[in-house]
Amino acid sequence: MSTPTAEVYRIDWLPGTDVLHGVCHCGAERTAEDPVELWQWMLAHPSGHHPAVPSEDQPTGHREEPRS
Amino acid sequence: MTAFAKNQWYVAAYGREIGRELLGRTFLDEPIAFYRAESDDQVIALADRCVHRRYPLTAGRLDGDTVVCGYHGFTYDTGGTCVFVPGQKRVPRTARVRSYPVVERDSLVWVWIGDPALADPGAVPRAPWLADPRWTTVGGMEPIDADYGLLVDNLLDLSHETYLHGGYIGTPEVAETPITTEVDEGAGVVRVSRHMDDAECPPFYARSTGIEGRITRWQDIEYHAPCLYLLHSRIAPVGVGPEPDGSDPNAFHVEITYAITPSTDRQVYDFWAVSRDFAQDDEEVSTFLHDLNRTVVLQDVAALNVLQKALDTEREGYQELSINIDTGGLAARRILARLAAEGEKTAPVVASP
Ligand SMILES: [Zn+2]
Repeated sequence: MSTPTAEVYRIDWLPGTDVLHGVCHCGAERTAEDPVELWQWMLAHPSGHHPAVPSEDQPTGHREEPRS
Repeated sequence: MTAFAKNQWYVAAYGREIGRELLGRTFLDEPIAFYRAESDDQVIALADRCVHRRYPLTAGRLDGDTVVCGYHGFTYDTGGTCVFVPGQKRVPRTARVRSYPVVERDSLVWVWIGDPALADPGAVPRAPWLADPRWTTVGGMEPIDADYGLLVDNLLDLSHETYLHGGYIGTPEVAETPITTEVDEGAGVVRVSRHMDDAECPPFYARSTGIEGRITRWQDIEYHAPCLYLLHSRIAPVGVGPEPDGSDPNAFHVEITYAITPSTDRQVYDFWAVSRDFAQDDEEVSTFLHDLNRTVVLQDVAALNVLQKALDTEREGYQELSINIDTGGLAARRILARLAAEGEKTAPVVASP
């Protein structure tokens, strides 16, 4: 069985608009009108992710780090 | 093409399809022979090629728990070990065919493709309604001559219902309603939700539920990559929601289950099942839902066959354009690529000198 994990990425298509709103599991958010671009940003986590409020599983928040 | 993800469980068949006749299917380019052992009814899966001259075992016959090759009589036990060769007493030590781990659960037969040592029966994703007496299920399987990735794309973006399946399950609201997409990276699950508050009722639901007029229609997809796709469908008259305690007695629930099992790089098995929690004993509803859903599946089959033919004429590196409706499909593609890469890594490798 695929047990749920804490590493959940979410993209909402904002009703009445063409805008997509992405939220990373670290709390970082971004809007875009292109799902390819939004997934690229999302999955680059933690690179370029600056959560407004650090989430509980990432108590130190996010620094920009080079991708390995 | 979409790379195969090894070291994964795949739906091989419905339990009812496997009995005392040999059944041959190819998964991820591996031809496999299935049958039930006479002694304990367990499903057995063996490589469908005799070790002697590669004759398909499915062209042979069963003898008790064993399979007898139809060419020279090499005989294999349920573990794939050769127990008889013609004309001599000594059976060569290397005379064995590969046996595959199998799990039968929720009326489905799952087979593990990859390193047998890594097969964990607890990792098989569940579809419990398929074998639950409170639900009535109809289903089938259609092969599609296409890369399995095309079927994943198709099922993760239901806005195509409006165009390809209009008049069956599609209505204008499906394509018009924004979706929410979630990826649980660790679990390898993609969820796509589309909740339509006030929608036209397509014939699929109007005739099965008897609802006249407009509906609230929820589509909640859960894709357990790579194989199992669940569509939790909730239908109710407009404005009728679940009770405060979470129960939902005034809605109709349909669990639509798909299993996407790659066969070759140009063929995929499209297993489909429709389970309902209403009119359970109504044969007419069963026949209607079966025939209508099969029609819908065959519309997908025809479309994907056409699409694959068109893609085969494209030059390498052709361009696509993705828009908002593709948010879930893009997520699924990426998870599949990751699973495929992981499956390669853990496959036994020969040490380089
Ligand atoms: Zn992040």
